[in-house]
Amino acid sequence: MLVLKNISKSYKDKEVLVDINITIESGEIISLLGPSGCGKTTLLNIILGLTEQTAGQLIYNGQDISKNTMQERGFNIVFQDFALFPHLNAYDNIVYGLKNKSVQMSKEEVQEYIDFLELTPHLHKKIHELSGGQKQRVSIARTLVMQPKILLLDEPLSALDGVIKESIKERIKLIAREFNLTTIIVTHDPEEALTLSDKVLIINEGTVAQFGTPQEIVSAPKNQFVEDFILRQLHIKRHNIYQLFGETYA
Amino acid sequence: MLKTNKMMKIIFLPILLFFLFFLIVPLLYMFWQSIKIGNIITIQNYLDALKNIEIRRSFLNSFKVSFAASVFTTILAFLLAYAIHFTTMHRHTKKLVHIGITLPMLLPTITYGFVLIYTFGNQGILTKLIGQPLFTVYGYNGLVIGYVLYTLPVAFILMQNSMQYIDKRFLLVSMLMHDRPLRRFYHTVFRPMLGTIGGAFILTFILSFTDFGIPASVGGNYRVIATELYQAMLGSIVHFERGAVISVLMLVPAVIGVAMLTILERFNFQYKQAGQSELVKHRLRDGLFTAYSIVCVVVVFIIFSTMFIVPFTKGYPYDFSFTLEHVQNVLSEQDLTKVYVNSLIVAVLTAVLGVVITFLSALLNARTPLKGRKSLDLASMITNTVPGMVLGLSYLFFFNGSSLKGTFLIIIACNIVHFFTTPYLMAKNSLQKMDPTWEVTAELLRDSWLKTVIRIILPNIRPTIYQMFSYYFLNAMVTVSGVIFLVSTKTMLVSTRIKELQHFAKYTDIFVLSIFILCTNLIVKLGCDYITTHKEKVKEMSK
Repeated sequence: MLVLKNISKSYKDKEVLVDINITIESGEIISLLGPSGCGKTTLLNIILGLTEQTAGQLIYNGQDISKNTMQERGFNIVFQDFALFPHLNAYDNIVYGLKNKSVQMSKEEVQEYIDFLELTPHLHKKIHELSGGQKQRVSIARTLVMQPKILLLDEPLSALDGVIKESIKERIKLIAREFNLTTIIVTHDPEEALTLSDKVLIINEGTVAQFGTPQEIVSAPKNQFVEDFILRQLHIKRHNIYQLFGETYA
Repeated sequence: MLKTNKMMKIIFLPILLFFLFFLIVPLLYMFWQSIKIGNIITIQNYLDALKNIEIRRSFLNSFKVSFAASVFTTILAFLLAYAIHFTTMHRHTKKLVHIGITLPMLLPTITYGFVLIYTFGNQGILTKLIGQPLFTVYGYNGLVIGYVLYTLPVAFILMQNSMQYIDKRFLLVSMLMHDRPLRRFYHTVFRPMLGTIGGAFILTFILSFTDFGIPASVGGNYRVIATELYQAMLGSIVHFERGAVISVLMLVPAVIGVAMLTILERFNFQYKQAGQSELVKHRLRDGLFTAYSIVCVVVVFIIFSTMFIVPFTKGYPYDFSFTLEHVQNVLSEQDLTKVYVNSLIVAVLTAVLGVVITFLSALLNARTPLKGRKSLDLASMITNTVPGMVLGLSYLFFFNGSSLKGTFLIIIACNIVHFFTTPYLMAKNSLQKMDPTWEVTAELLRDSWLKTVIRIILPNIRPTIYQMFSYYFLNAMVTVSGVIFLVSTKTMLVSTRIKELQHFAKYTDIFVLSIFILCTNLIVKLGCDYITTHKEKVKEMSK
């Protein structure tokens, strides 16, 4: 369980985040949703330990980790464009971090992760030979073998095209369930956030606009912002799709 | 698709002829000179040269001293670039490094030598401070320091440019993977930089190997290949064949070096995007790199400070009182002011004509379907390989009997060819980045091709044009090796005049002239930088 208590962040006199309070249960998938510049990436970096908050506390399983370094926290992140080392092949990227661990993971265990992500046929390919979806899975595998306590995903779907998107979504859900892994996702796409996560944190101009399950957000938007910027987009999408297929497909 | 038209061919032809007559034919002619004695074709000249102990020793010396200098330069430049891009050193310090390290580029290399003599020599400033000379500056030591000063800016610019494009988020990945510092350094900095490090090493080696200015001033009795070539051609006994042979031999490492650079390209990989991420603060690291950077810059400043002290003191090193006498002397000597005006004429004309030729070449190469346009890439590759001294010498051979001999024109042509590669690539890069459909769009709007170039291409490439102008101007102003064989008494330039003043031990005059060059270059460079960034800002504001 991760608790964010009164988290605030300001640069000089510019406030980026103001008084964020949320509780994330273990094994949940949480989305941080909002327009660009709303502070969601800053919040992700604060959880990761890369950026220090100006005020507030982070409590993980009852322990105050506010002052812990990135390495001490043991969370891990998958970047938007995957950040795979271009001079190593897929396999060497996956096992990159294992060489630094004192307790070694057996080959079979590594293979389990590889099988789970269906990467066996691509292990000896160079990074530039992989497709977007394959790169994404290699990057996830590299992070998972480090057995992070919390998995952070920065815009995980934005670099992928249509069909792959849906399958990666399913994969992310599967990972969270299979490893009981708390997963925090940053996204600017309401559809992505609401179909992928257990709970969504909507951020606007550094403050919480609403925090709740997709159902709660759709049925009871808390304010005008949620209504205008989140729900309207979905309504337009729904309208377009109805027009294409007809109401019967609803 | 854009079709080839008459205009393109009309522009292409003179450019082709230019390279034929000022690059290909002179080089071939020089090669021809090296393989004949009288009317017989033979390799005897080469055998003679290789048997000659002095030439062999000079060759070996050149190798040794250039190798040592490139090792130092590469390490120093790497650390400086690292300080800029991988530490959270204060931004003012970073700015200082940029300026301090690249400032010597505005001076002729021959000045470097004299400045070293006045810092480390028997009467040097540092020697006076310490009480005795740290080492003998003439010969090996002076050459190494001179070459390092000369090549450090180039290596630094190369490395810092390459580091700028390294994705900094890999540092983060590496930290999250619990890498130890050494492994992190290898995977996130060293391995991505490997190609550039090799490239910087080779480039500094070639520059040192073929430079004439530094050995001419501080070489002493330590003979290197460049001074050997000078001796063969302009020494007391002239050996034409030997000169030709030495310059062909001088080409060999340059050719090998450029070939190796092409191979090293493969070690480079391009990051999709240079992800910016906050660098983690690390007090000890940042402190050490700040200290290192400041020491480097201070050393450069101390060494070059003599240049400003000597000409403004009455009788260095005995009488340190301030005077403008020497400067006034130089200004009143018609001979010296004329030399300065000559330099200005050459630099301006080189820059104007050079920009025209490089821009048109890049335009034909990058944005037309003209047949044979790839030959311009070849020209750029050859000009990149041929050292200035070799090019100048080939002109001396080829144009010896012609009316071009001893004119400004031949000096300007030599400069344009010698420094062609960099501005050509600058222009080509920005032309390639522009939208490829512009010409077709304009054609549909009923513009002729030439009109499109003038109305669309030129306004968009303007910032690059200023930078190309500045590059040509500065280099034409400081080059010694390219023009040493081509100047006559009428076309004497500041940089070559310095070489003559050396014989009369007129060091104060040398420094005054060097200050003139420095100030002129500074004005041109700052001016070009100002209009480049100013225009950019106006553009951004109007967006």
